[in-house]
Amino acid sequence: MARGVIYWIFAVCVLMGGLLVAIMLAESVPNAGGVAHSLFPGMQAGEDGAARLEFIGGYAFLFQSLLLILIVALSILGVSERHRSKEFLVYMAASLAFMLFIWWQMYSNHQAFLETGETGYFMGFPIATAWQMYGTWLGAIPLILVYVLGFNKYIYTRDDAEAFDKLLREFKQTEEHD
Amino acid sequence: MEAFRQEIIVGAVVLYMLFCVATGLWAMKRTHDSSDFFIAGRGLGPIVVALALFSSTLSGFGFVGGPGLVYSIGVSSFWMVVISSTGYAIGFFLVAKRIRMIAELRDCLSLPDVVAARYGSEAVRFLIAITIVLGVMGYLATQILAMAVVMQAILSGTETFANIGLVTCVIISSAVLIFYCVTGGIIASVYTDVVQGAIMMVAGTLILITAMNVFDGGMQEATSIILRDDSEAIMPFGAAGIMASLGWFFVFGLGLAGQPHLITKMMMNKKMEDNRSILPMSLIGYVMAALLWISIGIVMRAAVIDGVIDPLSVPDDAASIFLSVFANPLLAGVVFAGLFAAIMSTSDAFLNIGTAAIIHDIPKAIRGHSVKHELFWARIVTVLLAVVAASFALYSHFRDATLVALLGAFGWGTFAASIFPVVAVGLNWRGATVPGAITAITAALAINFVVQLAGLALPYGISGPLVAFLTSMILFIGVSLVTRKPDLPEDINRLMDI
Repeated sequence: MARGVIYWIFAVCVLMGGLLVAIMLAESVPNAGGVAHSLFPGMQAGEDGAARLEFIGGYAFLFQSLLLILIVALSILGVSERHRSKEFLVYMAASLAFMLFIWWQMYSNHQAFLETGETGYFMGFPIATAWQMYGTWLGAIPLILVYVLGFNKYIYTRDDAEAFDKLLREFKQTEEHD
Repeated sequence: MEAFRQEIIVGAVVLYMLFCVATGLWAMKRTHDSSDFFIAGRGLGPIVVALALFSSTLSGFGFVGGPGLVYSIGVSSFWMVVISSTGYAIGFFLVAKRIRMIAELRDCLSLPDVVAARYGSEAVRFLIAITIVLGVMGYLATQILAMAVVMQAILSGTETFANIGLVTCVIISSAVLIFYCVTGGIIASVYTDVVQGAIMMVAGTLILITAMNVFDGGMQEATSIILRDDSEAIMPFGAAGIMASLGWFFVFGLGLAGQPHLITKMMMNKKMEDNRSILPMSLIGYVMAALLWISIGIVMRAAVIDGVIDPLSVPDDAASIFLSVFANPLLAGVVFAGLFAAIMSTSDAFLNIGTAAIIHDIPKAIRGHSVKHELFWARIVTVLLAVVAASFALYSHFRDATLVALLGAFGWGTFAASIFPVVAVGLNWRGATVPGAITAITAALAINFVVQLAGLALPYGISGPLVAFLTSMILFIGVSLVTRKPDLPEDINRLMDI
């Protein structure tokens, strides 16, 4: 993973493309992308949620899971190969696990609501939506913490700063010389 | 106070516009050359960059279209907002460090400059510059029109300006925008962004408090009303469905690192180390301002369903009707000033990168050098660009909406699909090649154009930009893997090790 991250990114993108094709070819339902609200013009309604997920629910779940993997893989790509230590990769794996957990909670709570018609509330929103609303926002916080707290360790170390200053001096000298 | 509601709102907007003009005059004294005009001489502090970054992210669309989208499709549109933490994280991991380093190493003034340095290709520079110019025209035209429509709505509520026309409003609002952009360039733009960002944060927070008091049971009562009417609308994927929602997560989340008006700002900070504080500050600012998007939309949908207010004639009226029915006049004044701030902060960023593309990058790509007297021509082209965009906006409004709609295809999604792979991935992967970059940009533009022109509706609410983005990522990496590994210039090769 530390070295071949671009191949992971490529593989994930191809898999996501395949899932997108599968979803496009799946049997459609009339309310798949919403329908006009029967009473209020300008409003859309989703209507039967279970029907909307019947043919594509599994594909969509996988699609988002792959997208979360892609996000973490891209973040790893953004860190110089020299700084992709075991410790860094463990942090990134933990961030991915946290994001996948939030996604699973959101999806499974929505499924539970579709089966029972019952939901609790958390901070003003139905549980599944609260996982989306607060959870998704918080999901990337571990990545941000790795960036902010690990800035001098993974993103731009003292050695990096010295190497860049040296490069800058040499390049400007060459330019002046030319 | 209620009797003076309209006067208070007009007063707040006029104050705000006077501030923009004063900032333009102040910044003119600090603008000595084209480097000052386009990238503020790479001398900005972290707070300025952070506020400029988030305020340019949230355009007038966020203040007007956002609440309208929640009213229309429910929670689906939340996905455009809640991805902000992911979007900023990806943007900083992939772009912030490398774009800043290349900009300093090669004295780059624009994103196409950075791309040309990375790939050593004028063709890639040209394609990125053309994409930016087309996108800028579409974005600017819609932003100027939105600004004029809001101004007309505010002024026509007063006795003195009851019959003010849309053309007059386009002229007034464009004149203020042009004035501070021409006189002070990006310096005026980012310093107005600081105040614009602060106004947006205050507006977002106060609106959330107001919205939570509309129903006795607070936000939970509002969401319960929506749930009883149509549960899917308030469930995680909203009325538009799961694939529309996840598509927005992809395009708006990853796509943030492909927006030229945002990542150009990552070239402007004084010190590399500032990035570690810019990231959290930008995110906090965005979250506070975006509270307006979510809270107004939810409350307005619930209020209409519950019969508290009449159904809206168009969803985009959600914010203005909320302000007139539920908000204190002083708060309405702050929010309307915030709305102008949101529109102007995005517009000035686009004017700046569009001007750079026209006078700096396209001539460089074709003739090998940019125009002489860049600062002079930058000011002239800024005026021309704004005038052409304003004309497009008026033509679209009165005669034919197709033109701006077509240019609108070059919005966030097209920038994301065509620029993200080439810049965000390409700056971090030595194996990225010129054929890969050209194929990705061309495919992204073609798919977005075809979907827009043909009005294609894909199954399950899958969006054209999602297909374009994924295709361009696959093509960029795939073509780069099968084409000859490039011989990078020595300095770029060493820089990519850092």
